[in-house]
Amino acid sequence: MSQTILRIEQLGKRYRCTRNARRHATLRDWVSGMVGCGTRGATPAASDAAAAANELWALHDVSLEVAAGEVCGILGHNGSGKSTLLKILARITEPTTGHAVVHGRIGALLEIGTGFHMELSGRENIYLSGAILGMRRAEIRRRFDAIVAMSGVAEFLELPVKRYSSGMYLRLAFAVAAHLETDLLLLDEVLAVGDSEFQQSCQQKIRELAHAGRAILLVSHDLATVRALCNRAVLLDRGQLVANGPLSDVIPGDRAA
Amino acid sequence: MPSSTRSATGMRRASIGDAQRGSEAGQAMNCPAAQFPVIRLQANSGWPGANLAELWRQRELLGFFIWRDVKVRYKQTLLGIAWALLQPLATISVFSVVFGRLAHLDSEGAPYPAFCLAGLLPWMLFASGLTAAAQSLVGNVNLITKVYFPRLLLPVSSVLSALLDFAVSLALALVLLAWYRILPGARLLLLPLPLALVLLTGAGAGCWLAALNARYRDVRHALPFLMQLWMYATPVVYSLQLVPPTWRPWAALNPLVAAVEMFRYILLRTPAPSAGILLVSTAVALGLSLSGIWFFRITERTIADTI
Repeated sequence: MSQTILRIEQLGKRYRCTRNARRHATLRDWVSGMVGCGTRGATPAASDAAAAANELWALHDVSLEVAAGEVCGILGHNGSGKSTLLKILARITEPTTGHAVVHGRIGALLEIGTGFHMELSGRENIYLSGAILGMRRAEIRRRFDAIVAMSGVAEFLELPVKRYSSGMYLRLAFAVAAHLETDLLLLDEVLAVGDSEFQQSCQQKIRELAHAGRAILLVSHDLATVRALCNRAVLLDRGQLVANGPLSDVIPGDRAA
Repeated sequence: MPSSTRSATGMRRASIGDAQRGSEAGQAMNCPAAQFPVIRLQANSGWPGANLAELWRQRELLGFFIWRDVKVRYKQTLLGIAWALLQPLATISVFSVVFGRLAHLDSEGAPYPAFCLAGLLPWMLFASGLTAAAQSLVGNVNLITKVYFPRLLLPVSSVLSALLDFAVSLALALVLLAWYRILPGARLLLLPLPLALVLLTGAGAGCWLAALNARYRDVRHALPFLMQLWMYATPVVYSLQLVPPTWRPWAALNPLVAAVEMFRYILLRTPAPSAGILLVSTAVALGLSLSGIWFFRITERTIADTI
């Protein structure tokens, strides 16, 4: 079998939303909380209960393995933990419990155009965005021509990106990201933007990357996209992994709405 | 479809294995990405360090952040980099009238504008670096919530990118000094020492404020006030000689005091600051940056959730 790129074991993420937000929303609250502690607010026991009530496990006990060459779709309703999972894997936030092991480099494409600066030119943004996404300068230089060719904005390279049409911007941003040489690629709803031509070229590129041996995790609400690209999928529901296997077993459309 | 995928993977593995055999013989060859370490993601606790090894690996990105800040700073401005000349010029003009002509503050024998500019150089470097660093996390929310990189690069690059304006202001100062027939000469070689002190203090305080700002936006409102207080706590417009001798060791708790005194020693040939002042200021600057990095790294763990 193929090499395992990603192994997730019993990953969990807890958010304590309201309690902290209420107590420490501003420095003034924090100071007045320090000064006035005991005189106002609840007893310790009551505040513990309140803390438990305000805990939210955005992700709970999720285990998963993804091998090289696999395109794994992540399905689930809003708030089911899909984005939280990608954010943990992208190292944007830490898990509360469990761990994940990644063999190789991680590339995260959680939105189109990460690291772009509107005031800078297309040429400058290729370097800046490439570096922020994790490429070395020499890598970007080597792939520069390929990125420009794929984006189709060769004539406008010296123009500030803020003058680009949204289509040009999307194509350039995706072209940079598509040349990211990572072993694990995380895609969050990236294909939901742009026209159908743009979406087609994105899908084509994703297939090429999978054939080249990348492991890809793809979050999408669009079942057609998932059917077209993924060779397996997992289904998350309220932070828990409820299905894992071939598309036909997992896609809720084939079982329920 | 699955078989073609597998064979493509096999080919890739083989090619990387070949590359490895060439460079590092005797390593495991079955791993598709053996040149990169295995990354383990889990909850961390305990005392964080600066993770210098990772910062060093990402030095190119540090360069890109500095380059971006410098490139963007004067975009769509009429005067561009001339602002780096106008700001100190306008400031010393006002200060020379108010504190030199009207208040007759002592300037240790140097012409007051030169005396004031020698103090303003390190102060403006510090102030612009610290202000940019304090905003560096909040101003880059779209990066912090979308992609991983060592967050420390943001305040550090903000402080370092203030060096460009400093270089322009320094050139202005040297011209002004030549006009007054003051030539610093070989003492200029000492300039990296107070410069390092200013950058260290700016980075340390910048880490504190950037992390605090990510939690409490109060920092944005407190910052202009803090900078004004800090400037008057630093002998920029006045001479440290005006401070009673018994107070001076306490004044040195502000690392900018030693930096300004060193700048004046180098540019104006005023007496060098005492060893005590240098020692106290350096110790405070080191303490500030170590504690700043520590607080920043603790905040970094939850920053994407709280910012």
